[in-house]
Amino acid sequence: MTDLKTPAVTFDKTRTPGTLFSTLSIPVAIVVLVVIGAIVSPSFLTVSNLTNVINANSTVGLIALGMTFVMVCGGLADLSVPANVAMGALVTLGAQPVVGPGAAALLGILVATAGGVINGLLVGYLRINPIIATLGTGSVLLGLSQLLIGGGIVYAQPSDLANFVKSSILGVPVLIWIFVIVALILQPLLSRTAYGRWNLAVGGNYQAAAASGVPVRFTKASAFALTGLLSGICGTLLALSNGQARPIIGTGYEFVAITAVVIGGTSVFGGNGSIFRTVGGVIITALIGNLIILSGLPTQATGLITGAIVVGAVGIDAYFRRKAGRE
Amino acid sequence: MKGFTISTAASRVVQYRLLVMLVAVAVFGGLNVDDFLTINTLQSVIDRATVVGFLALGLTPVLIAGQIDLSIGSTMSMAGITTIFLQSYIGNIPAALVGLVVGVLIGVINAVLVVVFKINSLVATLATLLVFASLALLVTNSYPLSSSDPIFGIPLTADFLAIFTPRSAMFIAAALIMFVWLKATPSGRNLYAVGSNAPAAKSAGINANGYLAATFVISGLFAGAAGVLQSLSTAAGSPVAGAVMLIPAITAVVIGGTRLEGGRGSSLATLGGVLALGALTAALEYSGVPSYTQAVYTGLLLILLITLDRLVSGDGTTASRTHRRVKVEPTTPRIP
Repeated sequence: MTDLKTPAVTFDKTRTPGTLFSTLSIPVAIVVLVVIGAIVSPSFLTVSNLTNVINANSTVGLIALGMTFVMVCGGLADLSVPANVAMGALVTLGAQPVVGPGAAALLGILVATAGGVINGLLVGYLRINPIIATLGTGSVLLGLSQLLIGGGIVYAQPSDLANFVKSSILGVPVLIWIFVIVALILQPLLSRTAYGRWNLAVGGNYQAAAASGVPVRFTKASAFALTGLLSGICGTLLALSNGQARPIIGTGYEFVAITAVVIGGTSVFGGNGSIFRTVGGVIITALIGNLIILSGLPTQATGLITGAIVVGAVGIDAYFRRKAGRE
Repeated sequence: MKGFTISTAASRVVQYRLLVMLVAVAVFGGLNVDDFLTINTLQSVIDRATVVGFLALGLTPVLIAGQIDLSIGSTMSMAGITTIFLQSYIGNIPAALVGLVVGVLIGVINAVLVVVFKINSLVATLATLLVFASLALLVTNSYPLSSSDPIFGIPLTADFLAIFTPRSAMFIAAALIMFVWLKATPSGRNLYAVGSNAPAAKSAGINANGYLAATFVISGLFAGAAGVLQSLSTAAGSPVAGAVMLIPAITAVVIGGTRLEGGRGSSLATLGGVLALGALTAALEYSGVPSYTQAVYTGLLLILLITLDRLVSGDGTTASRTHRRVKVEPTTPRIP
């Protein structure tokens, strides 16, 4: 996976059930879900259904990509995501009449990134527990976003930008393109660059990383700034494609993103993880949600099934890790 | 006397933050709101803090043990729904008891996931948060249940001993009992040992896993109590009642001074945190500040206190977390 990881992998018996489980689980899970889906509903295995599923989940998928960095560097989780999404969306639409759609979108993304930078300063430089820090900033920013619009709802003006976001290129919706492109940029960033290795090192052993000259504070702070940036992009895209925005636009997105990252097999303790696995996690959560709707189960059951899968996946993973450790 | 300047002053502020907060709120409220400084306000603040208070109290041992429980809100919803649903079948008191049992059962599930399956408590309780929030919506079809005996819960919020109501008296009593347990019994002290250094505690012969499991069960029980009290006094079982309670509960515990890193905390500090937060909310509400602005103030307060705490207590640059913990561990609790 990375230079840091390779020795460990070759050292390990490559064919232990644990490593086999972790390499094969995601593709197998996706195949199993597709097979179940094809059996359950004839409309599941159609291009339009699958495109819609991925399209609907590509915005929250962006956040999962950022959350991967947060978890890899040992930052636990960013719970201020809903606030940054709301900020991005509300500023994008609220500033449209004043500065025009393009500049407003940039402004929205910028404001959300600023939220991420504040998280980064609190967690990376002041070393405040990430859960507390992001709960606090989330509370403040969500309150500010509501204050900004008086607790109501903002509508979009028709614009070329909004039409572009809603359009398709080569038959694939723009939202999916954006998700794929961001994933293709972040994958090598995490697995092949010095910056990526810093993240893995900081998450693996903070003290050791600091001692070997890794800019530990910057690394941790930047992971939160990145998540803020991606939350902002998510909010902007949501606002433009929905044509409206309200403060609750991103409610629950932090949990969806965390779920996707965890299903992808990234350790909550930090030190390992990969963007492609998170993409797998996003696809799995998306397919589960779609299967629930198509099979006629009430949508309220989504959390029930996702939660059970998180427990199952992480429990089995933890079991194999311990077994490997004992042998 | 270079030491005695800003840093000493700041450390005093942090040390007595609850007192500072309460005085600030009293002054602010007294100046801005007519008849703010009355027994009635005090009674209402304590009463309204009860539900968040039970959640925060239950969370305290979990945090002392160095774990977290995100599922308390969902647990609270489940317990509330169960109580209201069963009222007409088995009577009020048994229904309330079953509500508590539901809380304990969810706590047991969390304990099994964390202790037996070794799943990180953040992930395990995130999963149970999702599962039980979803289950609560599923069994009620997303509609709140209404109580078959709405009169039964009214005495819970009646006058009691001048400044209390029966339910807030239960909350204060629970905080005091937990304080005695944590500070004056061997098992309470062992919990701090487990939270500050689990391997060392194990070597010293403490059943660390047992203590971890117990904290989740306690947390489930208290979340269950919050749900039962809330549903009975509002005469409704809402599937989303607990969803909004998680963040205020964590904020209250942290304002009180309990650390998420484990090994430190006190139920009286949590009680202080709950009351300070409740007083602030009441003062803001009475002076007509909209609820979303209150979230801004609460969040800013949380960040400010935690930043001050970090800047004053530990030199974040060099002192490692373990080092700080060792330094902090022997000190007596700072009670407001």
